[in-house]
Amino acid sequence: MISLFWENLRISLGSIFGNKSRSILTALGIVIGVLSVTLMGTLISGLDRTFEKSMSFLARDVLIISRMDWFGGDMDWWELRNRPRIKEDYVEQLREKSQFVAAVAPMAERGGSIIRGDKRIDTRFFGTTPEYMATNESADVITGRYFTDGENRSGARVMVIGGDVADALFPDEDPIDKYVKIGSHKFRVVGILKKQGKFMGMFSLDNQAVLPFGTYQRLFSRRGWMNVRVKVNTDNYDEAKEEIYGVMRQLRGLKPLEKDDFAINQSATMEAQYKAIKLAIGGTGLFITALSLIVGGIGIMNIMFVSVKERTKEIGVRKALGATQSMILGQFLMEAVLICLIAGLVGMGLAGGLSLLINQFFPSSMPVGLAIGSIILSVVIGIVSGLVPSYQAARLDPIDALRYE
Amino acid sequence: MADLISLKEIKRHYDVGGELVRALDGIDLTINHNEYISIMGPSGSGKSTLMNMIGCLDTPTEGVYEFEGELVHEMDDNQLASIRNRKIGFVFQTFNLLPKATALRNVEVPLIYANMAKNDRIEKAKKALIAVGLEERMHHKPNELSGGQRQRVAIARALVNDPSIILADEPTGNLDSKSGIEIMKILDKLHHAGNTIILVTHEEYIAEHADRTINLFDGKIKEDRQTKKRKRVVT
Ligand SMILES: Nc1ncnc2c1ncn2[C@@H]1O[C@H](COP(=O)(O)OP(=O)(O)OP(=O)(O)O)[C@@H](O)[C@H]1O
Ligand SMILES: [Mg+2]
Repeated sequence: MISLFWENLRISLGSIFGNKSRSILTALGIVIGVLSVTLMGTLISGLDRTFEKSMSFLARDVLIISRMDWFGGDMDWWELRNRPRIKEDYVEQLREKSQFVAAVAPMAERGGSIIRGDKRIDTRFFGTTPEYMATNESADVITGRYFTDGENRSGARVMVIGGDVADALFPDEDPIDKYVKIGSHKFRVVGILKKQGKFMGMFSLDNQAVLPFGTYQRLFSRRGWMNVRVKVNTDNYDEAKEEIYGVMRQLRGLKPLEKDDFAINQSATMEAQYKAIKLAIGGTGLFITALSLIVGGIGIMNIMFVSVKERTKEIGVRKALGATQSMILGQFLMEAVLICLIAGLVGMGLAGGLSLLINQFFPSSMPVGLAIGSIILSVVIGIVSGLVPSYQAARLDPIDALRYE
Repeated sequence: MADLISLKEIKRHYDVGGELVRALDGIDLTINHNEYISIMGPSGSGKSTLMNMIGCLDTPTEGVYEFEGELVHEMDDNQLASIRNRKIGFVFQTFNLLPKATALRNVEVPLIYANMAKNDRIEKAKKALIAVGLEERMHHKPNELSGGQRQRVAIARALVNDPSIILADEPTGNLDSKSGIEIMKILDKLHHAGNTIILVTHEEYIAEHADRTINLFDGKIKEDRQTKKRKRVVT
């Protein structure tokens, strides 16, 4: 059977490359189909990995108490707007009233520019306490130091900057103990944060600066956002969340029937949201892709019918020389599979190239499983769409086929 | 008792739009090894139908067909393909070579279906091409060969699997008389070397090459006569 396999391969290649433009047009549908399958898969898996990496800065055991839900909820916007702000004394109250608090820190946040001589960078700065480090595992000072409780209390003008800020303002000097300005306020840089990369590949987590909470309050007062970060001391996140909910409702002075006017966010909410988005993208993509593959498969089937018709006489000759039905079937099936396989490889190559290009803006690289899967898919399409024409060829009556002109 | 082929009461009927066409209408025929037979008869008398029947391309509507003791009329498609591959060599009026393949590859085809290893295959195919005098043209494609040369490739292909019988339906029909005579010389030589040959022709001078001539008319054998003394060749 080995020699027959090579013969069939040879015939198929001859037929495919003997009708180049026809083969290219036929294969195009499959190329596009496989291209969209693999590209879609590549993007989703890139999204997945980015998401996982980005989620590490939002550890599962961290709850973030804010005015708003990260993902809308079903509140009207005016109701949301009228929610009272999160107050800084919740921090100590939570520590006192909740048994699940391992560490808790306020997070006041606003945007603005930091200036050093003729250099400036638009960034976000946070006012928080030294305890913040205990609530955020991925935050780490690599050069210099973090500010102290004393500095926090006294409102010292010190600052810990993210990697992007350091790169932008201090391209060729050591930032430690140098001075920068926010508006007219002068700050001394005491430390640099470890780089964390981009969140979902979109915005940099390193473009930030951290100030003592006391300093932030004195200089920027109530402007900007305010959250409270709580790291819990248990694996039972639901229980902890439940209890902190109660404490927060009490702090907000809510009566039993009143609606929440705050939100407790955590990576799990983000995860759920992300999964929903992924499903939507994946589902739509899959539908479109399946459609293009079906169209591609129909194209292959059509061209195989033409090929069988054109070669009716050849089929007759081959049968006269002793080819069995299964040998003829194999010959045409091989041709259909080969077109699809080549088209699949081309589609995959294009997807690989495109994902390299996209990788410049958004992390994406093709997983091996996906590559193997799309090759198998191409072969399956080849078999499915080639089966009926090949069967027709195999069943031809040798005499009728020989007579065919 | 025939030692190669025996046809008994063979009928092949076609139903063409409700009308019955009796292409073969009761053929009794026995053929022995190393016979050289020509089949003649007017157009439509059933010559090609009979050749296809003997060549196991077709099966009878009625009757008994025995080929070297095997009952062909009872065979399924795979068995028919196998017997065609092992025991029968076809030569067609229109050559029927594969246009994209070289002479050598064309001759290899039956051996591929017989699942012969590549080296043996090439060696056998070359031998067959040498036997028909085409050693210089092995790597030419059909469109680079003359009609006579193409038919010689077809003959090489027919004899490459050492068949029990070579069937040639009007092998000279598409050739000028000079090429036709060349082809007949090759067939004579093959017969002389021990092969069994049946050929269909309209030409008396072609038919004269054979030892026995069968005349068909309306699907029946009208005449079956020995034209020469059979000469057994000791091999
Ligand atoms: N597939 C078919 N369907 C219907 N009738 C057929 C078929 N094949 C052959 N016939 C009929 O059978 C008869 C014998 O045909 P065949 O081809 O054997 O004749 P022939 O002797 O070879 O003629 P020619 O010398 O023209 O080649 C003819 O009447 C033909 O029309
Ligand atoms: Mg005929």
